[in-house]
Amino acid sequence: MWCRHKLFLKLMRFFLFFCAGAIFIYVFVCKEAAAEQNWGLFSIFLILLVILLFYWVFERSAATSREIAVIAVLSSIAGIARLPFAALPNVQPTTFLIIISGFVFGPRVGFMVGTTALVVSNFFLGHGPWTPWQMLAWGLAGSSAGLMGILHPRLGHKGMTIFNFLWGYLFGWIMNLWFWLSFVYPLNPKTFLLACLASFWLDTLHALGNAVFYILLGRDIVKVLTRFRQKMEISFLLPAK
Amino acid sequence: MSYGFFYRPKGVFLQTLHPSAALVYLGVLFLLTLFFTHPLYLLAIFLALGLVAWAAEALDAWETCLKVGLGMVVLIMLINPLAVRAGTSIIWSGPEVPVLGRLTISLESICYGAAMGLRLLNVISVFCLYNCLVHPDRALGIFSRFAPKSALIISLATRMLPTLARELSEIKEAQQTRGVDFGSGSWRERLKRYSTIFNVLLFTSMEGSLQVAEAMHARALGSGPRTCYQREPFRPRDAICLFAGGGALAAALCAKYTGAGDYHYYPQLGQLFSGFTDLIFLAAVLAGVLAPVVLSWGWQKCSSLRSKI
Repeated sequence: MWCRHKLFLKLMRFFLFFCAGAIFIYVFVCKEAAAEQNWGLFSIFLILLVILLFYWVFERSAATSREIAVIAVLSSIAGIARLPFAALPNVQPTTFLIIISGFVFGPRVGFMVGTTALVVSNFFLGHGPWTPWQMLAWGLAGSSAGLMGILHPRLGHKGMTIFNFLWGYLFGWIMNLWFWLSFVYPLNPKTFLLACLASFWLDTLHALGNAVFYILLGRDIVKVLTRFRQKMEISFLLPAK
Repeated sequence: MSYGFFYRPKGVFLQTLHPSAALVYLGVLFLLTLFFTHPLYLLAIFLALGLVAWAAEALDAWETCLKVGLGMVVLIMLINPLAVRAGTSIIWSGPEVPVLGRLTISLESICYGAAMGLRLLNVISVFCLYNCLVHPDRALGIFSRFAPKSALIISLATRMLPTLARELSEIKEAQQTRGVDFGSGSWRERLKRYSTIFNVLLFTSMEGSLQVAEAMHARALGSGPRTCYQREPFRPRDAICLFAGGGALAAALCAKYTGAGDYHYYPQLGQLFSGFTDLIFLAAVLAGVLAPVVLSWGWQKCSSLRSKI
């Protein structure tokens, strides 16, 4: 079984690198063929590949049982926070919770919390064609917040509020991509702008919701999660034999 | 919290399929939907999805999903005609608008918008059927063999969700017995009260996560390779559905390769049929897609077939 698992991981690595190389050659070398591509279908493959890559990296990592439990709990909380707000268009405390998780625990945990919260809450709200795109958008929100936590650990309350606000729009633009790529012709900046204009008020609600939730709850949650991160860290004073 | 379109055991044939067979079959339906822009193919797939929903006894959920999708269909039908200048049969010519230029609406762009709206409804229907046909635990069971950590996280989080919902209501009740009124005051005051509940929930569940981690550690999580127990039988019905899905995909590829499945909207609408072969390919795709529906009907009506597959 272990050999099969290792073989699978090797095959997976080969498959992912092969796909990444093939896509690069296709898009940047065979430009004429790429212009005629069915981008709706192609983008789904691309998105699934990116998500698989992130999950593969997580499977390869030395995630401890504490990390696994914390990701599960934070995902549940982010998922449950989404359910009562499902009726309100785009106002949901999930995004800001994912961003805080990533900011405190790092990009890997941020991505996993973002994708898992979406998968778990969609078990109750229903999966749709938007699921892979939402997984990617929330995963990226968590991992980018993790990178922000590494690069600018003292970003401050104002900086984080702006970061949360911006992710409201970024999330909307990522979600517009699947709609634009699959159902609009021709694919040019003008049609993308129209798609973004159509969702502008929804994205604004999302951004404002994120900012308001962070202003009201962010400081306390960051404090609680930072305390738990410190509790989770184990350092050995003597080298383990 | 019920939105109607999630898994409920109904004992229908399509729910008894092996999860991998069900996923492949639904995956083929999804690919076919994104594969074609030909209106007849899209319409045929839509009708086929309706029949699958009927076989799965999920017509109510399907109807709900279609209603949800209608708003986006309207959006698609607005954006395409407003943005596209490629059509030659101009129906209406409007004023000059900044960024967009002169507004013109052509018959071709309306037809393209309608076809893409139908495609969206098809895609939504496929996911609706996924929600109704595949039990999340069974789908997760397939991935747990290849991605054990990720599958464990999703299982844990799914298990914790109802527990956290119960804890949330308990914390709220405890606060109410102490005199906190969640129904009065301005929205800011109410949000502050709810934030207290949320902080308590976060704190207790994070403490709980450490206990869960210790329990998993005590059961030797991560000490070596995981064992895997498979109890999903792979029956003839699964093989037939896989074969039918593969056949539909092969027929679709042939239709694309020969050009029978292609349709050009711009600059002028093309012909719906260019020959008899178009119909043959369409029938072949439909036969593959509808084979599980026919099998489901036979499974219900014929007890000998039921015992054999």
